[in-house]
Amino acid sequence: MMYVAILTINELARRRFLLAALCATAVLVALTGWGFTHLMHMHDRHGRPLSVIEIRSMTAVLVVLIAYMFSFVLAVVAVFLAAPSLANDIESGVLLPIVTRPLSRAAILSGKALALAFVVCAYATASGLAEFAVARAATGYLPPHPFTAIAYLCLLAVVMLVLAFALSTRLSALAGSIVAIVFFGGTWMAGIVGSLGTYYQNTAAINAGIVSQLLLPTDAMWREAVYYLEPAVSVAAFNARHVWPGPFFVLAPPPATMILWTIVWIAALFAVAAYSFTVRDL
Amino acid sequence: MDCANAIETRGLAKTFGETSAVADLSLSVARGEIFGFLGPNGAGKTTSVKMLTGLIRPSHGSGTLLGAPLGDRKTRRKLGYLPELFRYQEWLSGREVLRFHARMMGLRDAKREIERVLDLAALSERGGDRVGAYSKGMQQRLGLAVALLGEPDLVILDEPTSALDPIGRHEVRQILRSLKTHGTTVFLNSHLLTEVEQVCDRIAIVLRGRIVAQGTIAEIIGIQDVVRVRAQSDRALQPILERFGPVSVEGDAFLIATAHARIPELVQTLVQTGARIFAVEPIEATLEDRFLEITGTPQP
Repeated sequence: MMYVAILTINELARRRFLLAALCATAVLVALTGWGFTHLMHMHDRHGRPLSVIEIRSMTAVLVVLIAYMFSFVLAVVAVFLAAPSLANDIESGVLLPIVTRPLSRAAILSGKALALAFVVCAYATASGLAEFAVARAATGYLPPHPFTAIAYLCLLAVVMLVLAFALSTRLSALAGSIVAIVFFGGTWMAGIVGSLGTYYQNTAAINAGIVSQLLLPTDAMWREAVYYLEPAVSVAAFNARHVWPGPFFVLAPPPATMILWTIVWIAALFAVAAYSFTVRDL
Repeated sequence: MDCANAIETRGLAKTFGETSAVADLSLSVARGEIFGFLGPNGAGKTTSVKMLTGLIRPSHGSGTLLGAPLGDRKTRRKLGYLPELFRYQEWLSGREVLRFHARMMGLRDAKREIERVLDLAALSERGGDRVGAYSKGMQQRLGLAVALLGEPDLVILDEPTSALDPIGRHEVRQILRSLKTHGTTVFLNSHLLTEVEQVCDRIAIVLRGRIVAQGTIAEIIGIQDVVRVRAQSDRALQPILERFGPVSVEGDAFLIATAHARIPELVQTLVQTGARIFAVEPIEATLEDRFLEITGTPQP
């Protein structure tokens, strides 16, 4: 299994994925850093410089929005790494001499998944911390729980990774990727519906949100992550005004059992993927 | 099942939906022999090979490979396989591909073994190059090296010379013969009849997913010698020739089904009758003739 994992990471390095991802992220972090420094020199409508509280509040909002963009990028990266990793190897025939070695197909899949999960999580951690560091350096603001938020974003990426692997045991890389991204988008929408249901006390909408989170816990992980990025004062302000916080903010994280469910979901779907890959004809 | 055999199958079948790719594959391959697996395109050869290697699950039937059930993981340590669709990680060098396979197999003296198979496949000088820079023939040589890594007991080769030039094919035939001298069993799936004829001890011909002939090449071809006689056209010769065997007319020649050992006697008889003889030549039946006959392909 470890040989397959090492080979997978080696492939990402040789094919310059790691270099490309790091360069693109470095540019993105630099651009957002440039944006954050300009916050310090902004003025309100009366020409007065923004106060420290205003700057940090705006930075908090921007950090959440960047995190949202980042969660989407992570989901897409996870899908576009996982789906071709298996499906393309099956279609091209690269896998044939490998699966006839004394190694179970589940071990081959585990090796690939382990390697890609490691790469995606390392990327999420490095780029997330870099972004928070830039925000801190430019504006003095740091989200309340950056490591916890990154951990949930990593879980979100792993959920998408496993989904893409499961789909690619039977579908082509392109088809599997499209289905996974559509599911991701659908769950995000269902999460918004659930959030509206909670605000307007609509049971059907609340249930739609819960069911979607159970079927694909990416939105739940996003909500967990965003909750730990929001300053307590923002949550208190939304609660005090009794307004719907919109799709990018949450007033309370999903229940703690959701984390457990997500881990069970990942394990169960991976088992399904391993079984599907083991019994399929190559 | 007879564990003495390298391969033993009974009624293996595979259907894809409504389509039957392999209907009834029952064959025995003894240890240490080179076994040729022949058939026209679409006969089910590659599907059969994939069932043997555990890549495809049979719909019916059973079989053993080196005494273990098909698909047994431990047995794969003793199996070398070159797929028909040979593709290797093009971003690795040939040597790195072999190193990866050596690790999966748990080979001890991997470095020396890698150099041995690279040398065997005539790739030593290009072993450090990226596979992506290899020609198709070189990639097939690499596939052969991968299959021979670790001196497996059984090597299954699916069209191993399809991308090779005549020199490469000759080299592969020599490799196959050397494998036999080391007691390795070779299962050779090929449609190159001359290649099979030159190296295989026994063959099976598969047609529409069923084995229609199986045995040594002599058994498949049939031990029937033919002699072609070209003489001055004279129908009176026919009764004389019929003393040696059944006669048929082919243009201006007679074809006599008789042992080649009787040619001197045949010539002496003809001379004694005063016939004017232009040529007497022994004709060897070929595997190609027999293959075309068995598969029902019209011969030119």
